[in-house]
Amino acid sequence: MKTVLHSLLILAVLSFAGTGRAAAPNPTEQIKPFVSKVVDQLKDPSFKKDTVDNRIDKIVTLVSERFDFEEMSKRVVGKPWQRLTPAQRQEFATLFAKLLGHVYIDKVDTYVAMKIEFGKEQLKGDRAEVKTMFVDATKSIPVSYVMILKGDKWMAYDVFVEGISLVRNYMEQFKGIQQDKLISTLEIKLQELKAESERKGATP
Amino acid sequence: MKTYLRVVLLLCLALCGNTAQATESSGETSVLDDSFYEDTPEHETVPDPFEHFNRIMFEVNDVTYTWVMEPVASVYSRTLPEDVRQVADNFCYNLQEPVRFINALLQLRFSDAGTVLTRFAVNTIGGVGGLGDVAGTEFGFKRVEAGLGETLEYWGVGDGFYLVMPVLGATTLREFAGTTVDGLSMTPYYFFADSWREGAAIYMGRRVNNLSLRLGEYEGLKQLTIDPYAALRDGYFQSRAQSRKHSAPRTDDKL
Repeated sequence: MKTVLHSLLILAVLSFAGTGRAAAPNPTEQIKPFVSKVVDQLKDPSFKKDTVDNRIDKIVTLVSERFDFEEMSKRVVGKPWQRLTPAQRQEFATLFAKLLGHVYIDKVDTYVAMKIEFGKEQLKGDRAEVKTMFVDATKSIPVSYVMILKGDKWMAYDVFVEGISLVRNYMEQFKGIQQDKLISTLEIKLQELKAESERKGATP
Repeated sequence: MKTYLRVVLLLCLALCGNTAQATESSGETSVLDDSFYEDTPEHETVPDPFEHFNRIMFEVNDVTYTWVMEPVASVYSRTLPEDVRQVADNFCYNLQEPVRFINALLQLRFSDAGTVLTRFAVNTIGGVGGLGDVAGTEFGFKRVEAGLGETLEYWGVGDGFYLVMPVLGATTLREFAGTTVDGLSMTPYYFFADSWREGAAIYMGRRVNNLSLRLGEYEGLKQLTIDPYAALRDGYFQSRAQSRKHSAPRTDDKL
């Protein structure tokens, strides 16, 4: 009888563990409306006519709702991050957000034309991965969002496109850059991107 | 006694469930651990002793791509509709299926070997000589990759070192040897090519056709990178690692 009670106790503990997990907010349900908002913004005809700076500001403000650029930057920079001042960290995260903003504004037509299907999610403590598939008539591109739970909000800090981690890829690129040149390197890159976007005639 | 047995059974089921979940977690959710960003990346275990040469070759490929490959592929894509280019891609891919079949067998991936063989039979017969991918679109047999480079890796042959080759791009010594042998094993198919020039023309034709289906991707990648060479090297190793997760593909299409 004691063994039975012992077993039942273990079962009860297992059941409560399950209930505890279920109480956490659902990452997929949180990211779905966010993705819709981004697509709506990109589809907006007035957005396309705006200046490069304005488009970047708008998209970064919107994407910041669900992307934690500081978490992202911390991993991209690696160990030197600990030696940066809070102001430098903030500046790097802001510039890095703008760099990623160019992914959206330069590829606007590609993204708008694709359908986004949501798939499986994986949970592990305060981390989650939400899998999606960008689909059009000829191809399917798997895109996963890796997220961290902050309060009651799931915030993305990495994106995997066709299995390639964006953060890890940038980590490798920043490895060869000295700590005191991290911010200036990003500033120069953003100037180049702005000039390139304007050259393409993206601005009215 | 019956209740006791039922409880034990339930407990076993619960534990089995947890075990399965834990296994899946350890296999698939490593990206959720911070150690994922601290582990030594694969390219650091594969030396790049010829980085200077590789960077030059990277620049050469970049110029070749920008001024030759991309313009040719753009004209080609405007000349032929996407459907036709996809058919050409299917045909070339189907020709290589026997090579994949042998490599899957050599890697003891019998299930994948069966899929490749099924795809080859279905697409050759039902897809009119491989022009259509009936096996993939109608029967759900997705493409399976298996090359000699991976076979050599399976049997313990190391990468050697990182290389950037003209036109071919990022590779390693082992993968380059594998790609070369896989490519040469295709020559019996090119019965109409009498010389190496014609063989090379066919190879370039395949590259242009493949590129025409992915136009703009390289520019997009390069434009947003701080160090395009480091980005491509890391992208190559990440992409290769991903393509070799046959048992538990992270980017599976089972959404």
